[in-house]
Order: sequence, then structure tokens, then C-alpha cells
Amino acid sequence: MPEFENFNVKTTIDCKQGAVRAVRYNVDGTYCLSCGSDKKIKLWNPVSGLLLKTYGGHADEVTDAAGSCDSSYIVSASLDKSIIYWDVSTGAPVRRLRGHAGGVRCVCFNEDSSVAISGGRDNAVMCWDIRTRRLDPVQVMKEARDCITTVATNENRIYAASLDGCVRTYDIRVGELTCDKVGEPITYLAQTRDEQCLVAGCQDSVVRLLDCETGGLLSEYKGHRGDDYHIECGILANDAHIVTGSSNGDAFVYDLLETKVLQRICISDNGGVVHSLATHPKRQEMLFARRRDMYVFSTDLQIEEEQL
Amino acid sequence: MDEEEHLHRFGTPLPALEKDVVPAKKPVAIEDQIVKDENGKRRFHGAFTGGFSAGFWNTVGSLEGWTPQTFKSSRAEKATPRVQLKPEDFMDQEDLGEFGIAPQGIRTRDEFAKEDEQEQRSGQRRRKLMQPELGSGPIPGVPVLEKLLRPVRDKVAVRILKSMGWKPGQGVGPRQTRKEKRLATARNTREQYLLEHYGAEGLPPQAEPTEEDSNDEDDDDEDITFAPDDYEPIFFTPKENRFGMSYSGLSRDPILSKSSSSTAKPMEHINLFGQLEEQANKKQLSIRGQAFGVGAFEEEDDDIYARDDMTRYDFSLADKKPKQKKQQHVQQRHVIDGFSEDKSGAALQKPYAIDLPRDFQPRNWLQRKSRFAPMDKERAKKLETATEYKRSGLGRHDLNPDQRAKLLGEQKIEEKAQEEQPKRNPFKDRGQSLLERINARTAGFTKGGVITESGEEKQTELVKEVKESNAAILEKAALKTKDLAPATSSSGAFKPFLADEAKQLRYEKFVASKLTNDTEITELLATMQPVTLSLWDREMEKKEFIQAAKIYRPLDGLMNDRFISEGNVQEEKVKEQQKTPEERKIVMERTKTMWKPTSLLCKRYNIAEPFGGAMLEPEKELKTKPKISVFDYLETSVNTKANFQTPSIIPKHIEKPKEVKPPTPSPAPPPAVEEQDKPTTKEEPSKFTFVPKTPLEQAVDESRNKPISEKTDLFKSIFDDSDEEETVAEQPENPAQDKLAALQEALGLPSMSTKSAAAHNVLRNTSPPRGIFAALFKPKEVAASEEPAPPKFTPIEGNKLKISYKSREERLRNDKELAMAEVPPEDIYGPKLPGAVPQKPEAPEDHAEVNIDEKLQQLWQQHAPKKRKAEKWVEKKIISSSEDSDDSSSNDSSSSDSSDGKAKKSKLSKAKKSHKSSSSKKSKKSKLKSKKKSKKGEKSKHKTKKKKSKH
Repeated sequence: MPEFENFNVKTTIDCKQGAVRAVRYNVDGTYCLSCGSDKKIKLWNPVSGLLLKTYGGHADEVTDAAGSCDSSYIVSASLDKSIIYWDVSTGAPVRRLRGHAGGVRCVCFNEDSSVAISGGRDNAVMCWDIRTRRLDPVQVMKEARDCITTVATNENRIYAASLDGCVRTYDIRVGELTCDKVGEPITYLAQTRDEQCLVAGCQDSVVRLLDCETGGLLSEYKGHRGDDYHIECGILANDAHIVTGSSNGDAFVYDLLETKVLQRICISDNGGVVHSLATHPKRQEMLFARRRDMYVFSTDLQIEEEQL
Repeated sequence: MDEEEHLHRFGTPLPALEKDVVPAKKPVAIEDQIVKDENGKRRFHGAFTGGFSAGFWNTVGSLEGWTPQTFKSSRAEKATPRVQLKPEDFMDQEDLGEFGIAPQGIRTRDEFAKEDEQEQRSGQRRRKLMQPELGSGPIPGVPVLEKLLRPVRDKVAVRILKSMGWKPGQGVGPRQTRKEKRLATARNTREQYLLEHYGAEGLPPQAEPTEEDSNDEDDDDEDITFAPDDYEPIFFTPKENRFGMSYSGLSRDPILSKSSSSTAKPMEHINLFGQLEEQANKKQLSIRGQAFGVGAFEEEDDDIYARDDMTRYDFSLADKKPKQKKQQHVQQRHVIDGFSEDKSGAALQKPYAIDLPRDFQPRNWLQRKSRFAPMDKERAKKLETATEYKRSGLGRHDLNPDQRAKLLGEQKIEEKAQEEQPKRNPFKDRGQSLLERINARTAGFTKGGVITESGEEKQTELVKEVKESNAAILEKAALKTKDLAPATSSSGAFKPFLADEAKQLRYEKFVASKLTNDTEITELLATMQPVTLSLWDREMEKKEFIQAAKIYRPLDGLMNDRFISEGNVQEEKVKEQQKTPEERKIVMERTKTMWKPTSLLCKRYNIAEPFGGAMLEPEKELKTKPKISVFDYLETSVNTKANFQTPSIIPKHIEKPKEVKPPTPSPAPPPAVEEQDKPTTKEEPSKFTFVPKTPLEQAVDESRNKPISEKTDLFKSIFDDSDEEETVAEQPENPAQDKLAALQEALGLPSMSTKSAAAHNVLRNTSPPRGIFAALFKPKEVAASEEPAPPKFTPIEGNKLKISYKSREERLRNDKELAMAEVPPEDIYGPKLPGAVPQKPEAPEDHAEVNIDEKLQQLWQQHAPKKRKAEKWVEKKIISSSEDSDDSSSNDSSSSDSSDGKAKKSKLSKAKKSHKSSSSKKSKKSKLKSKKKSKKGEKSKHKTKKKKSKH
């Protein structure tokens, strides 16, 4: 069990793109993306806070973005009902995928970034073939009864969390749809690194740990405040700590096993919802989004190690 | 050299002149200049940017010169919108001035402006331009006509004054007695005199003789009052310079600027004509600053001598002529006439209390001028009462905040504060002393009452009060809403069965009972319904009632199904919130369903398709899902076919399923249709409790929602006769299906969508032998004797068939063209007809079929073992070719054994003669059908047939 060390703020970046809707790391955590309400996506170096590129082309607020496994493409979801596939280096939109009947809430790549999966307010999960120039979705899953808040995938499954309180697991290998009903609207879903469990942030200010195999509820994490916001949650790279945002300007780090609050990260004294966050894929590092700013938090020791 | 050392050099020296070159005397003209770019090429700027020469000395585009702007916009860098230039940006300062083309500044409105100012603004210029100078015409002064034609309109101030009782010619102010007036007049004259002599500079004086007191009688009658005299108020210009009194020096402003002439006359930008006017009027000129002669721009150049006339100076203090002089006031920009700009900077503003008349009501009298003129009071009152309900609404707005607070059970803030205070500090805050408080408490105690703090007492009082007022308010509200809610009470308002009074009565009772249970309803209705009603009618009535109750529910009921009120939602929310999160136990539910990932998705995920891609496609369900429409909703229970179809149509005696009585030779549905229907028909009997259906009806029902293309089977089953169906339908399923089944078997997969043919046949095989089968499975003599069933359904016997076929064969020979379309005799296959050609048991490739048929036979044996002896089967191609039944081989062999075939044909044709004669029409149909079903193989056979016929 790794020892827990407190997180400290490392960088604060004013994104200057209106409200930051989502922050995401790229595949290895060297860069990060921020999605703004000004319809733009910005690529940053989280360590130095350097703005690397701005991607503009969406017609409405950008809600989510994901980087491809080789970090050469970005896929982004927007409330303009479209998904855009960007070339990272040129900043040009390679493809624009329209198919959702409502705003798109979330998007992700599969492992080899050949398929983009998106979920939207039209209750549909859509799989898009990125390799070919096909403009219609490869598959549409419309089982959800409410807005899809998160899609996630691993090598053979697609997870979709919805506000109807269900986590739907589409097992491609078995050809089976497993619907785990939690009963509370799920605002965010994260996979543990070992892919055994799911971390589901629920609307009732509880983060729940679900077992993928049995569909059982393993534990609940309480302490933060969700209110009516789409608060995101995450699990740190060591699979031992769960982190979640809060509506009163804080973020909470929980111990996965003991379900107790390890640290209450006070991001801001004057309120503001910490709604989006991203955990570094390897290090003990996190990104938070609050209002117009992006915060990089990290344990000090790690940075020193990096520097050495 | 020495000198050069001492020199300093600035700049770069010119290149030394070459000896041979004579310097050009003329500089190169601009048009001759050539601009070159860095490559030495001639630069061209384009026609609209200057051509070959652009800008000052062709500097445009050069390093030092001006760079023309190019419009550039890209996705990455959007072009910034250019600054919007207004016309004002290109104007001079004067244009923006008061007399420019775009004047800016604050101005009084025409209505309030002085008349001469108006003139200036509107007409002066024009007038001056169009008319000759004033006084230069034959008639001196302002043209009379113009004065006459001036619109009569008083200024606002005048109108106000008039409304206050002022008359033109009078002065303004409180009325005076004679004595007071006299004094005032004296004072005025004195002031004016002083002003004239020492005050301001001269003006073109307005001939306004001061009023002389007509009578100087000393009537000290206090009662008689007079209006005060009218006199010009004196304006004092602030002295800003150190010159002598009423001396103004030469203006430092340029002559054309406004302020230079502003001293002479206000509101005039260039006083070019002022002098002329003065001359024309021959009035005395004031002393003007000409101390240092006349400037070059000065217009009064020629007057230089005439001006300083000694006659202009006063040599005595005598009162020459009572004159009124208008004080000039400096008109500056942005300053209204009569005001001067505050130079001090510090704003001293002292608010003065205005003594308003007691019943003064501020009102804009201009508001109601025409049709909005003030209404008479009665009408206004009437209107008010008429529209009162609009304003008051349901009495909600009658409440003030306090009442509302009471209604909501809130406490007033002060009360709250009061309430809380004593609790915090019960002794100190009141004026009462500690002792008094204690006394009071003890008194209460001794009285036997409960010691209550003052706050609590109040609260109880408050509660009572609140209750009372609540009741009152609610009563009021109810009174107001009383007539708003009629006819919402019951569904009884609508009478769906008005035609039948008794029925309506029953219906009303039924509605009142509000029963939901089906059996309860039947019981209830049974008590009410008359005995004469049949069971079926009762059933119908019950159905009708239920539907009517559903449909003719009051609207709110109908809508309640679909909407919930916000109040309910909130209530639920509150309830939910009241439950602590611990109470809400999360119960995880897991449901698993089949889901088929598309093959491409699997490919991209690098995963093999589940079940090798053989999963059932769930898309079909989506397609059959009906569209949702309002009409569907309304019709759901009433008009669905399932509810109302059959009861009236089907007589009871055929309600039993036909299978129970095997011997009845009722028309059987075609096997193809039955196959399809099997899974669905199993469910249906449970749904429709009181009306079982015949298979045909079921087929009809099912096909109702199908597109027409799918209904062909049904139509066939209706319009075709069953016996022919038999002959054709005995042909096994198309080879493709067979192959699929075989493939599935080979793969070891459970066949999902298509059951094996054998399974179908087992399912199908429930009816007794009919048609050919009947003839086949019965002993020969029985078949030959007769059938007891009605002739319509009699199966056609083998010998009849023979006859009919023969007749047709004859006809075919006559008409060859028709023969092409007809079915060849090789087409006859199936069970071997008694007494026909010796059969061949089976063909190798139709192995599966034979298996099925064997099963069939076994079943027959079980059901009717006595009726038949043994069965012999004729396979499809046996007749034409005895050696091989393969299509291709038969084709090849047809020529070789044509004679053999012919012989067989003739035999067959004999057998079918009778059939043809009896029902030629039917046979045609069946042939058409058979043609359709057997496609390629048939064609080849046709060919062979043709050949034969030629032979």
C-alpha cells in the first residue's frame, strides 16, 4: 500500500477560454487538453503552463476531448452535436462526425485509437470508425434512457454511464449488454487501471465503486458535495486513491479501501465548482478545472524525483 | 588638410561625380520615376492602388513608405474587423460645430427656444441668402409678409404664464398696489438708466419705451392692485478682464472662429452682416477695441475714421433717452442661451425647498392631447370597476407581504427578532427592570399559569391569528375561484350512452363504483343488467363501459397520466431529501441482454465476432415498432383490432379449433402460412379469451399490419382451392434453405432463424389426409367408391386427374404457343398415384426431403393405420428420366430417351384428362404458381419439353 502524500498546487493556468468544461491528459500525461465554453480546445504543457495550440472549429461549447494513443490526433465532443477529429500538429479538423441528435457529452478512443466512442444527450452511444473516411457511425447503442454522461472502453468492452442511473457494459467479445443499475444518476465513470472496477460519481454526492465482474457495489465514498453539477471523479495511477471534485471549490481524495477522506484539497476559497478533473496516467498528479482556470496538483516528492 | 581635420561631417557624402557624366538639369518627373523591387523589377501597384506610381514619391510598398493594407483572413487567424469609420471622422472641427453640417451639442427644443434662435437655426441662413440685405429693399426692416405669415405659437413659458393669469404686456410677479407699483417703476427706470450709462455696451436698441405712469394720483387704495410693469431683466456679464468698464479688447481669436464674433452677437458664427445692420439702423456704436489700428482681416477698415467721432462721447451726465439695453451674454459651445459656463469648476449646488401649492399634482399636461384627453370621472370609474378583476386576479394580489407571510406561516422579521432577543438576553433588553421582570414571573407562577416567555406567548397568539386570517383569505379566494371551476367534478357530465337511458344509468353507476378489477366489474354489471341481455351483449357492454370510462374521463384525469404537477415533484424531492442518504439503500441490479456488435466494430477492436457473427440481428424489432401518435393513444383500448374484431363475426359453432375433428374437410391454410404463424398463434389464444379463431382468421388478423407484398400467401390461401395447394406445397422448401440447414448441421450450430424442414413438417402434419393424400392413403376401392363430405371439399381423385390432363394435352398439341407456357408433364411429382408408373424410391440429392417425407408417412401410419396399405413415392424427375434425376443430366439425356418419355407422357395425360375438363381454371392457377416456385429447373424442363413437342 503506497503511502499517501498530500497534493500541492503546482501550476495554475488561466485558460482564457471562458469556463473550462473539461480537462484531460493525453495518453502519457505529458500534455493536457482543456475544453472551453468558447468552443475551443487548448493544448497545454501542464508543467510549464505553456499554451501549445488552440483548436477552433466547433460551433458550440466543447464538452469533452480525448487524445489518441500516439498523441497525433484529438477527438472532441461538443454541444453542436458533432465530434471533430483533429490533427494535433496542424490544428486542422480532419473529420467532422455528425450523427448525434443532441449535444455530445463525452467521447473517448479505444486502445489503438481506431474507434471513437461518443455519448450524447440523445441517449445514444455511437461508435465511429476513425480509420476509414466513413462519416456515419459504425454502431449506435440506444439502450440508455437518459443522457449519456461518460463513455469508457478497454480492449473488449465499452462502458456507458447514463443519467438514468445505469452503467451499461457492452461486451464485444461475448456479445452481451450488461446493465448495472445503480439507481442514482451517474455523472461520471472512471475505470481502475486493473480494469476490475469502475468508479462512478453519482448525483447524490456519493462516489461508488462498482465491481465489473459481479456488478456489485463495493464501497461508497462520501464527503464531497455534488449538488446538481456534473462532478467528475477519477482514480489515481496507483489505484489506491479516488479523487473527486466538489461543488464548493474543493477536491477530495479518498482512500480506496478504507473509504475515508485522505485529503481535502482546497482549490479555491471563493467557491466555484470543481467539476472536471483528470488523473495522470502514471504519476501522482491531477488536473482540476474550476471556472476559467486549470490547476495542476501533484505530490512534491514526485516532482523532485522528476527533477533529479 | 588642416582645415579638413577640423571639420565635422554629417551624413553620407554624395557619390563623386564622374568626369564624363553631365548631371541632368531637370529632376526626373514623378510620372517618369520607376519603382523597382529588390529584384530590380518594375513594381506595379495595380490600377486601384496607384498604378506604377503610388504614394508620395512612389513610396508605397517601399521600406520607408506606406504599406497598403491587404485583407487576410484564415481559419487560424481571423481578420480583425476594421474600425468603422463614420462620416464625422472625415469632417473638420467646424463641421461638428453648431453651424456645421453635423452639429453636436446640447440645445433647447424648438418649443422652448427663443424665437430668434429658432430663426437662426431654421431659416436665417436661407433667408439671408435668398433675400437682399435687410433694409436694402424699398421697404426697410423685416419684410412684413414674413412676420404676418409666422405661425402663431406661443412658447411654453408664455403658455404657462398665460395659464397663471398673465396677459401680454404685463409684468410678472405678485400684484402690487398703486404705491408699490410706482416705486417699482421708479426703481426700474433708475436701474435702466444706470445700465445704459455704465453697464453694458451698446446694442441695436429695441424701441421699447418705458411705460410712463399715466396718472400720478395718489390713491392709496389698498384694495386695487395692479400687475407689475414689464421690464427686461438685467443680465450681468461677469467681468473677466481688467479693462475698463464695457471695454473689450481685440479678440485674440482668429477672425473666422466663432468666439471672435461672439461678443458682438450671440449665436452667429461670423458676424459679417452685423455691421451692416448697425449702419442701416444708424444707431450709436459702442466703444470698441481698436487701440492698435485695424487688422488685415478686420472688416471695419473703411470705418476707421468715422468711428472715433467725438460725438460719440458723452460730455454730460444728463439723461438723454431712456434706453433699454440688453446685456449681452456670452454664448459658448454647449451652453444654453442665457447661461454661461462655470469656470470655477467647483459646483456649488444648494437644493432649495420649493414651496408647492398644496393641491399641486405634477402632471404632464401634454400627455392627453387628443384621444387620450382626460376622461370624465364617471367613465373612468366605470372602467376601473369593470377591469378590477383583471388587476386583482384571484385575490392573490390583494395580499400584502405580511398577509402572505402569515399565509405561509412565516414570522415577521421584527417579530422574529423580538422573539429571539428575550431568549438570548431575557432581562436586559426590555425597559423593565430586573425586579419587575421577576415580579411578573412570580405573579404568573402564583396564578397557576405556565411560565412562558413573552415570545412564546406571542407565538401562540400569532398562530391563532394566522389561522383566522388564513381562513378568511382562503374563503375569499374560494369565492373568487368558485365560478371558475364548473364541470370539473365528474365524468358524468358526459353521457356516452344517451340513446339508451338504462345503459347510461348503468354506466354512471359503473363509473361511480370506480372498479378496476375485471371480475368485480362483471359482477357489478350482472346485478344491474337486465336478464334479457345475452351473455355476449353483457360482455360487450362491459368492454364498452371500460373504454368509455377511459376515454370520457375528465381532461385532468386524462392528462394526469401524462403529466405530474411541479408541486408533486417538489414534494417527492423533499421527501427524498428528508431521507438521509443512509436510508436510501442502493441496490445494484444487473441485467444481461444480448447485444450484437457490428462486424466492423469487432474488427477494429481486434476481436472475433461473438458466435462467428451468427447472432440474431435486433434491428427487426425496431422496424416493427409502431409510430407513436396521439391517435394511437386515444384508440388504444377502444378501437384496437384485437378487442373488437371477431366477436360479432364468428358464429359460435365454429369456435372450436378445427383440428379436433379430423374428418371435416374444411379448407386448410397453406402450409407456408402456417409455418410463419406457428410461434405467434401459440400466444394468441391466451389473449383473446372468449373468441378462439380459425387459422384462416388468425392469418387474416396477422396480415392486417403487413404490407401487401407479404399478404400474397394469405390471398392465395383464400382464393386458391386447397387441393391444388396440396399438390404444389408438397414440394419441399427451396434448395437454398435446405443448403443452409445442411450447412448449419455441418457446422454444428443451432439453427436460429430457420428451423429445419423436418421440424416444419412435423409441426405441419396435424391434419388428416386430404386431396391427393386422401386418395393415396386410402385403399383403392375406398377412394373409388365415394366421399361423404360435401362436394366442394372433395379431394380430387386420381383417375379424374388423369382425364383432365389428357384433355389439356390434346389442346396443347393444337396450340404450340400455349404449350410453351404450360407446365410439362414432368412436373408431376409427389406420392405415386395408384396404378401409375413403377416408382423409384428416392433420389440421392434429395436425401433430406425423403427423410422428412418418411417421418410424415410414419405419422400418417400412426394416425390412420387402417386406411392405407403402403405408400409409394414418385420423385420429381422420375417420370422424365429413370436413370438420373439431376437437371443437367436429364437435359442431356432427354434426346436419347425421348421415346421412352413420350410413352410415359401419354399415360399421364390420360390420367389427367378429367381434371382438366372439370377445373381448367384452377389448374392454370396452380401451374402458374408452380412455375413461380420452381425456377431454374423448370426452365430447363421447358426446353426439353419444347424439343419433345417438335419431335
